Amino acid sequence: MRRVSVRGLLDLIHVIEWDIMKLKHQTLFVAMRTTWFILQVIVFGTTISMLVRYSQGFNYYDFYLLGVFTSLIYSVSIARGYEIADEFDEGIIEYHLALPVKRSTLALGRVLGGSISSFLFTLPMFIFIMILVQPGSLLWIPVSLVAIYLFSAGVVGMAVTIVLSVKSTDATDILMGVIDALLIRLSTVFYPAPILAKIMPYYYSALINPVTSLSDFLRVLFLPEYVVYTSLPPQAQIAYIVGLAVGFSYLAIYIVSHKLEAGGWR
Amino acid sequence: MSISVLVIAGRDLKRFWSYKFWLAGQVVMNIADIVIFGLLFNNMVNRSLIPDYIKFVTPGILSLALFISSFSIGREVGVELRREVTDYLLSLPVSRLELVLGRFVGGAFRGLIYQFGFLILAMLLVGQPSPGAWLVIAYTSILLSFAMSGLSIALSTVTRDFNLQATIRSVVYYVLFFFSNIFYPTQVISIRFGPLASLVAYSPLSIATTLYRWGFGYLREVDVVSNMVLLGLWTIVLILLSAAIYLRNLTRRG
Repeated sequence: MRRVSVRGLLDLIHVIEWDIMKLKHQTLFVAMRTTWFILQVIVFGTTISMLVRYSQGFNYYDFYLLGVFTSLIYSVSIARGYEIADEFDEGIIEYHLALPVKRSTLALGRVLGGSISSFLFTLPMFIFIMILVQPGSLLWIPVSLVAIYLFSAGVVGMAVTIVLSVKSTDATDILMGVIDALLIRLSTVFYPAPILAKIMPYYYSALINPVTSLSDFLRVLFLPEYVVYTSLPPQAQIAYIVGLAVGFSYLAIYIVSHKLEAGGWR
Repeated sequence: MSISVLVIAGRDLKRFWSYKFWLAGQVVMNIADIVIFGLLFNNMVNRSLIPDYIKFVTPGILSLALFISSFSIGREVGVELRREVTDYLLSLPVSRLELVLGRFVGGAFRGLIYQFGFLILAMLLVGQPSPGAWLVIAYTSILLSFAMSGLSIALSTVTRDFNLQATIRSVVYYVLFFFSNIFYPTQVISIRFGPLASLVAYSPLSIATTLYRWGFGYLREVDVVSNMVLLGLWTIVLILLSAAIYLRNLTRRG
């Protein structure tokens, strides 16, 4: 029994490693992505901030920085879904299913590996954001990193669940596109909760949106003056992020263990 | 225009419809930019700079929609180069110039068709253009779609590495998009970009957006003729340059 669990752990590490190692071949891609993120923050962020009325009691640019970082970690994590769709196309998923690895280990490994990889990918951008925001206490940095990682794990779990459930490139494209368009725009990434509250359906959608939870949680940590405008109390936000990570990881494990069969990709 | 050019353009157009799911996602995103981002941001902007953000941003979304859809052909040309489908295309009984022109026309048609629905939306949200203004709008759309189609094709042939192709297209996409007047007005651009403000004002996307804003009645005092001439010059330069790059890279190995 003991040997089995050690082997399971080793298998899990190998699956995680497989996802992370792919990052090694993307150095140039990470560098270019970082460059255009910096361009976005410096050019678009500063310019759009000049349009905003400063009557909300906080600096919009700092507000925007933490929001845009949240949208970045979301996009990078959800992109795992497209990668998995490509792997299905290339037969890599079938190869994975044929390995002598428990399906639950495989699914958990993909979620953890994908989220660690997404987290590492966005780390240079996070450092840049921290330089601009200049946090009052360095203690909040590890707290925020844990929240970012958990959020990424939840989003990767969601991507794995969706892609492996629909098993179709077309359906993946449309679902991811629509989810991306709506989740980012119907959240507090660009506008604070009181602005969203002017249109109630948008506000309620933002409240149940995990992107809102992470962006508002980061703001509460680094922009204490924002706390009065936040959509939910910080404890509720972090509980939601943990729930997202656990819930979607479980769903991904369930889909891979009980529903997934090789072939049938459309 | 020879029949071969139209056949090649028709092939690219047909393939555009096979991406209906991608298209649906793009449409949702562009509409969300207007009905969610525009509507909510309208409550935050300084009214002395932009009295109505939805009316301001909708013509910008027209440029963006045309830009994204015309740019979509670049991805396919990149994949063809990587999978050596280009060799098959070169073996067809058409001249290389016809092949290049056909691809440019195909990309431009994609942009024009995709943008059509957004033109109606802009008419409903911003204002009804006069017949003369419709001509200016049509001129702007045709030129911008050709320029962007050519540019995306040329960029996709610079390298065979798929990730690098996507990254180069994205960097150019973001540079053109951020350094334009799609989301911010001239006053803010002048303050923010200082001496570079005129470069931003004369970028192809800014010129097109200004012409759309004039066409739909959002802006009154615009030097329409100068802007049209400038857009024409941009298009000529971009098409010639793109054609030269595509022709060169069609037969390049490695």
